[in-house]
Amino acid sequence: MNHVDIEEQQIAERYVRGKLTPEETALFEEHYLSCQECLDRLDLAESMERGFKRAAGQDAAQLATVQKVKQLAVVAWLARLGRSRQVAALLMIVFVVAILPGLFALRQVRESDRELTATRKALEQERGRSSLSAQSAAETEKLRADLEASRRDLAREQEAHAAAAQPQGNVPILFLDAERGASAAEPTHRLRLPRSPGWIVLALEIDPPHQPAYRVTLRKAGGKEVWHGDDLRLDERDALSLSVPSTLLAPGDSTLTVEGLPPGGKPVPAGRFVFRVLPAG
Amino acid sequence: MVLSASTMSTDAGHEPDEGLVATDLVRRIQAGDATAEGELVQRYSRGLGYLLRRLGATPDLADDLHQETFRIVLERLRTKGLDEPAGLAGFLRGTARNLMIAERRKTARRRTDADDEELAQAVHPAPSQLSTVLLDEEAETVRRLIRELPTDRDRQLLLRYYVSEEAKESLCSDLGLDSLHFNRVLFRARQRFKEILERHGTVASP
Repeated sequence: MNHVDIEEQQIAERYVRGKLTPEETALFEEHYLSCQECLDRLDLAESMERGFKRAAGQDAAQLATVQKVKQLAVVAWLARLGRSRQVAALLMIVFVVAILPGLFALRQVRESDRELTATRKALEQERGRSSLSAQSAAETEKLRADLEASRRDLAREQEAHAAAAQPQGNVPILFLDAERGASAAEPTHRLRLPRSPGWIVLALEIDPPHQPAYRVTLRKAGGKEVWHGDDLRLDERDALSLSVPSTLLAPGDSTLTVEGLPPGGKPVPAGRFVFRVLPAG
Repeated sequence: MVLSASTMSTDAGHEPDEGLVATDLVRRIQAGDATAEGELVQRYSRGLGYLLRRLGATPDLADDLHQETFRIVLERLRTKGLDEPAGLAGFLRGTARNLMIAERRKTARRRTDADDEELAQAVHPAPSQLSTVLLDEEAETVRRLIRELPTDRDRQLLLRYYVSEEAKESLCSDLGLDSLHFNRVLFRARQRFKEILERHGTVASP
């Protein structure tokens, strides 16, 4: 038996997952019936598959519990406040969670509406002029195309707004280590953009000494700042996690600069994370 | 990727060629050599048990079909032999699969309506305490292994390969790796996983 092929082509792992073709399956089964080495290899492959999946499941469950505990902590904190403060805090939460994004979306929709109205007006004017002078059929066509494009933009924005309010699966997660020493010529971390817009989770491991809060700045290739956030806090694994809309990232090397915010002191550098954004596959 | 029959059936010098061993066993059994029957069972027993479990047999059914397969194969070898004695492994495999298929058909014919009580008993039982401990041990071994990896790229490779079951080609392309590096990381991870498991305990039963 050629064990080199079995090793190089991950035959045992692919067999355990049911990813071999029927012909490969038949050949491998006839082989391992009398091959103790391959049977050991199959036992190990099954054990690793189980171990990885169980560990991932346990970690996900633990994360969910932590989130739940955090929610309960907020409720407990609210319960300890006086009645008037409770009302104020709840109003603030409702404002931030529900009304603020709504207002933002509404503003975008109104802006798009205004653009659409302006384009329509321009089109009407052009139509009027063209009926008088009968000279600008091509320009009218162009304006019609512009109007269509504006309509499509508006529909896209409305769809994106509706999609953002839904739960999302298959969210890409990128675990990042801080850059140490001189900058590497090429970042080791790579992220492929999803085909359709969605959220991307970035997890940044922060080295000690730890600070009570952090500021994170995201810059795209060329150093232009695209987002920054203050008052970010470490989770129980000493990591900061960010959810970033994929539309914020563009192909090229992006950089996250993290500064610790000591109480009453000046911000201190806490890490620089570079990753390469690849276009959607 | 397609494996040729020759690469699958030729040993690379470590063990006697499967075809030669099988031919010898078939001829001796047909000639009435009882020791050869014992050698056949010893040679293929573990593999046959594994195959039956992979085909979906419960432990009890796998035991029954294991015995039945050897009974049918030995009876055939004693009386008629095989046209191609070197294909003994294929004959064993085919017999086991046919028995498993027949068992499924038998079960399907028997079940014409749903029996609530039987369905309730048929629910997969919760894993035993021992099984849970062993599964947790495998998960802990994985965590140790992940912590020991030298680079984040290797960590991502293993997580995406074993948890997300991503294909080797797409992983290599995403992480900028060549096939050799991928194989090396996987090989070392397997070796290390085995070492840690052997040092700390046993493997959980599926």
